[in-house]
Amino acid sequence: MSAYAEGIFILLLINAIAAMGVSLLTGFTGIFTLGHAAYLALGSYTTAILTLDYGIAWLPAVLAGGIVAMVVGYLIGLPTLKLMGDYYAIASIGLAESIRLILENWQSLTNGARGLAGIDTFTTLPVALSFFIVMAIAAFCLINGRFGRSLKACRDDHVAAALLGFDVAKIRVASLSISALYCGLAGGLYAGFISFIQPMMFDMLKSTEMTAVVVFGGLGSMSGCILGTTVITMVTELFRPISQYRMLIYGLVLVLVMVLRPEGMMGQHEIGGLLKRLFRRGGDRS
Amino acid sequence: MATLIQQIINGLSLGSIYALIAVGYSLVYSILMFSNFAHGGFLIIGGYFCYFALNSAGFNIWIAGFGALVGAGFAAVATERLTYKPIRERTSVTLYLLIASMGMNIVIENIFVIVAGGRFRALPPVIPTTPVHLFGNATTSALDLISLVTAFVFLGGLQLFLTKTKWGLAIRAAACDLRVAGLMGVNTSKLISIVFFVAGLLAAVGGIFLSVRYTLYPQLGMITIKAFVAAVIGGLGSLPGAVVGSLILGLSEMLTAGFLSSQLRDLVVFSLLVVTLIVRPTGLFGKDVKEKV
Repeated sequence: MSAYAEGIFILLLINAIAAMGVSLLTGFTGIFTLGHAAYLALGSYTTAILTLDYGIAWLPAVLAGGIVAMVVGYLIGLPTLKLMGDYYAIASIGLAESIRLILENWQSLTNGARGLAGIDTFTTLPVALSFFIVMAIAAFCLINGRFGRSLKACRDDHVAAALLGFDVAKIRVASLSISALYCGLAGGLYAGFISFIQPMMFDMLKSTEMTAVVVFGGLGSMSGCILGTTVITMVTELFRPISQYRMLIYGLVLVLVMVLRPEGMMGQHEIGGLLKRLFRRGGDRS
Repeated sequence: MATLIQQIINGLSLGSIYALIAVGYSLVYSILMFSNFAHGGFLIIGGYFCYFALNSAGFNIWIAGFGALVGAGFAAVATERLTYKPIRERTSVTLYLLIASMGMNIVIENIFVIVAGGRFRALPPVIPTTPVHLFGNATTSALDLISLVTAFVFLGGLQLFLTKTKWGLAIRAAACDLRVAGLMGVNTSKLISIVFFVAGLLAAVGGIFLSVRYTLYPQLGMITIKAFVAAVIGGLGSLPGAVVGSLILGLSEMLTAGFLSSQLRDLVVFSLLVVTLIVRPTGLFGKDVKEKV
């Protein structure tokens, strides 16, 4: 594999980890977010600062990045997840922009808008791949288990879920924390891949891109969001030579998907389920 | 004291421009219940229309401005017809409209990146920016006063349109319930077009003033995020709320810039948003909608 292809593949895996986090929150819990780039930023800044300033090894630094993002997500979730509908999405824009601006203005720690350079490039293909596999298995176990069912219950009808004895507020906060953990880890890996980070990388466009990928793949489908990440990353990478038109095409793809197939590529199906159905149909014929 | 008055006038002037844009957000939200993020696109369409009408076609500011307003209005109607309408007919999930509007914003922005280039452009000096002395020693620019007056003229016009005309009545009815308004004989498809036309027109006014105040570039539309914040603080869907929220935002932004530090102004804006949402989730003037079980 050429170095370029390997780079794209690593980026793909990192994006997929972040997308799984957003999918857990938006697809499975039904909380729409427009600010998840902030958790990416927290993860990558924590990792970068720990490895650069304190000389800590990369693995604990990445894990610390995930944990910082998770704690911040939990603290943010407590007051804001009482908001229903569009209003949480709007609050998340404000929170994410606040976090980005704090990172930009905290000169002594984050070097401000100039960003942090010279981070060790520890995210090699095996590292990214093993992180991805572990996180994906965890995500699938999570959504197929008891917790996943309570998430879906809160998504489909939070009033009914509350009547059935689910603690809706607690479940929503837990979902945001886990989703922030995924994005924080992805951010740490991203810092170790690109070796240079600055606040501008984590602006609102990045946030909307993360959510758009999940919607594109299919809300409520974990494999759909991985597929969506693959397609969007490929589209943006393949069109890099005609960089002028890249964003235009990205926007058009987004609009066209919403017009033609708003439920996303996979809808609420998982690849496993589709294959099983296909297999069974083949079995009937023979 | 002089600085205080100066910053208050600046703040009101900036706030009134935000108000023009925020009212567009609120109008669309009150009818279709989604936040139209393509609004920033309408703003730069207005800005670029005006720029090219002034520079390439050599019109004077009145004709160029008028053309920009109508052009942006029709662009908004076209956006609605081409993208939002097919989605609305297919599903009632407003989330899909939200994502489509973000896509449209990226599309419009990048059409201008390709057609006009990403560089910064200054509008010719059509609107005077000379300093004006007020109350003895406070100094402000003529642009601030002109934009303040223009915003009030347009917002007043909108208020008259909404209260005195038949279509205004229909829009207010549709803001209560679009479906029922349709059942009562309102042509909802035409109504939505009118709402988008008005929203696009007001965005273009804001766009022209913002491109004189700052410069014109394809990402100028990002500034609408602040107008959006203002609309949310005032209560999405409420027009007086949008105006009051915008004035609060403009004032707090300019006072922060004047007395604390200009780097903190955005932070203040977004903190205001978060605090408002936590204390009063539907905004200052928002309707408290009790959930039906």
